[in-house]
Amino acid sequence: MKDVRIGIMSFAHMHAFSYAASLNQLPEATLAGIWDDDPKRGQDMAKQFNTQFVASLDDFLASDIAGVIICSENNKHRALVEKAAAAGKWILCEKPLSPKVEDAQAMIDACKKAGVGLGTAFPCRFIPSIMAAREQIRAGHIGEVLAIACTNHGQNPGGWFVEEAESGGGATMDHTVHVVDVLRWMLDREFKKVYCELGNQLHGESLKTDDLGSLNMEMDGGIQVSHLASWSRPQSFPTWGDVTLEFIGTEGVLNVDAFNQKLDVFDDANMRHAWVGWGDNPDLGLVTDFVRAVAKREAPSVTGEDGLRATEVTVAAYKAANAKEMVSV
Amino acid sequence: MNVAIIGCGVMGKMHAEMAVRCGLKVVVCADNFQKAANELAQKYGADSTNNSQPALSRDDVDIVVIATPTTTHAALVQAAAKEGKHIFCEKPFCRTVAECKSSIDVAKEHGVKLFIGHVVRYFQEFEAVRAQLQQGVVGEPGFAHLYRGGAYPAGQDNWFQNYKLSGGVTLDCMIHDLDWIRFVFGEPERIFCQALQRSNPETLDYSQVTMRMKSGLIAKVIGTWAHPSGFHVKIEVCGSKGMVQFDSNDVPLTSERRGEGAAVGTIVPSSPVLKSPYLLEWEDFLGWLEGRHEPRVTPEDGLHAVAMATAALKSAETKAPVTL
Ligand SMILES: NC(=O)c1ccc[n+]([C@@H]2O[C@H](COP(=O)([O-])OP(=O)(O)OC[C@H]3O[C@@H](n4cnc5c(N)ncnc54)[C@H](O)[C@@H]3O)[C@@H](O)[C@H]2O)c1
Repeated sequence: MKDVRIGIMSFAHMHAFSYAASLNQLPEATLAGIWDDDPKRGQDMAKQFNTQFVASLDDFLASDIAGVIICSENNKHRALVEKAAAAGKWILCEKPLSPKVEDAQAMIDACKKAGVGLGTAFPCRFIPSIMAAREQIRAGHIGEVLAIACTNHGQNPGGWFVEEAESGGGATMDHTVHVVDVLRWMLDREFKKVYCELGNQLHGESLKTDDLGSLNMEMDGGIQVSHLASWSRPQSFPTWGDVTLEFIGTEGVLNVDAFNQKLDVFDDANMRHAWVGWGDNPDLGLVTDFVRAVAKREAPSVTGEDGLRATEVTVAAYKAANAKEMVSV
Repeated sequence: MNVAIIGCGVMGKMHAEMAVRCGLKVVVCADNFQKAANELAQKYGADSTNNSQPALSRDDVDIVVIATPTTTHAALVQAAAKEGKHIFCEKPFCRTVAECKSSIDVAKEHGVKLFIGHVVRYFQEFEAVRAQLQQGVVGEPGFAHLYRGGAYPAGQDNWFQNYKLSGGVTLDCMIHDLDWIRFVFGEPERIFCQALQRSNPETLDYSQVTMRMKSGLIAKVIGTWAHPSGFHVKIEVCGSKGMVQFDSNDVPLTSERRGEGAAVGTIVPSSPVLKSPYLLEWEDFLGWLEGRHEPRVTPEDGLHAVAMATAALKSAETKAPVTL
């Protein structure tokens, strides 16, 4: 099979670990190099994932890599996407595509202009339970969908995630886009209206951003959607968090607990009870799709526009929380 | 003490049983639907009537239980109070806040004790969560997520389907959680709600609330009458130091029948307790009547719960948050 050479730009976002491991797992792809504005981190990662570290961004982009996966801080996505696009690279950008609508739009425009594919890293589309739920819903298994209740909880990631200048927002920025994308993809409908209560109340002074968003939204056709985005899981929680969806249809209901393929592990040495997932790795699906897109010079399945739509909803949530009213997306 | 049961449906039957278990006597059962009154009366050797007024004015009646559809509560509470009877009224206290107010006034005026059946305050799992919070296990609570419901309730003449009467799942079912949240976390500030309230062609209701409390706590409350079967309750409270969760799907007892018949293939879960929360609620009510303690639920609590549910329904209608 043709060797698709992929580079990773920045390991600021921890998902880069999983993407690097996925690339190393794929026979059709090679992790051809890592660039990072933190050279120490870049060198360590290059060693860990058995590839080269390229210190200069220009050299990195001038190399023979065909595609890049960008895992920088959110606020750097735009500049890196624009540079990579100008160098003719196919791009998979970590979510949120950008915390700002105008930046996300500019990134899409830059890629269009350069004639390169742009994908947003929404791995939830590659989770088998979510894929199967989509099939069931589209086959009419629960009739017409009338209401949906979602959660995307996690633990406080710390670091740059909690610096608004770099992340663009807290838990609501981090944990709204996945379910928004999944629902748009499942139902082929857009979000129209958003209400949100934002909280910063679980981490005291140590956190400057929000750690909780309770959203009520409306999709095309009046579907009512509630969502909880949070960094609320305690350090002692047995896993990082969850993605859950409850669909109410005219003919039935459907529930997804996307990471509920797990072992309960009781570990005396560390006095820890952990949930260890045994299901398929969604990041591998996401990276496989990107590699295929690069090889075929096509758009990735989850596009930049998908990233933009999710950002629009999240930005509207912050706006609604400030205005204390339901706002249009 | 003797009891009159007004409304002999699902809850009327339950309260008759609890009253008897507390050593009281059911002397009369009233229901517009004579058959319902007769059946319950027969079980306890009581009289039966299809007219509530003579039942609640009987000299030998000390306590009137009101377990009729919500919109009838105010008139019945006030009629019973005027007869000098103590009152156990099912939740929701009344259909409107104004009705709650006038009912409280009439009860005060006639010196009778009025109790509202917010039974969730007595559920052992809810009390266990509250105990964890009081012990500080989660630290300062930051958010609560409550979920309640299952299949659409039947109700005499499908009265629940008339959303103007019943208020749907929001007023009739979610009110339990709204009350409990206020009981545990204090007064609400602002409430936003989306409610399905569908009666045609399918009968479904699904209510999704985001509520900000004065303490800053954010609550998400989901109420469902949209499920094909079952009944499910979940509680989650998260704070600065930890989290507590309850899920009614985790039970200590399940059974399933082999062979022929309707129940075959159905796994029946249950979570038995020695004392039903309805019995605990009755013991609390009777302790109050006997002057032993204050009740866990006051009529004002009942009023506030109606106010919260009413605000939620208004928000659902206007698509705007309602400040309380
Ligand atoms: N605490 C709980 O767990 C709980 C659970 C269900 C219902 N409820 C509440 O209990 C009340 C009754 O609900 P239900 O489920 O028992 O309903 P139901 O329909 O089973 O019973 C109501 C009964 O009242 C009778 N009735 C109607 N109007 C009357 C009137 N004016 N005078 C006398 N009888 C009359 C009806 O014929 C019916 O038999 C409602 O307020 C409901 O919200 C509480």
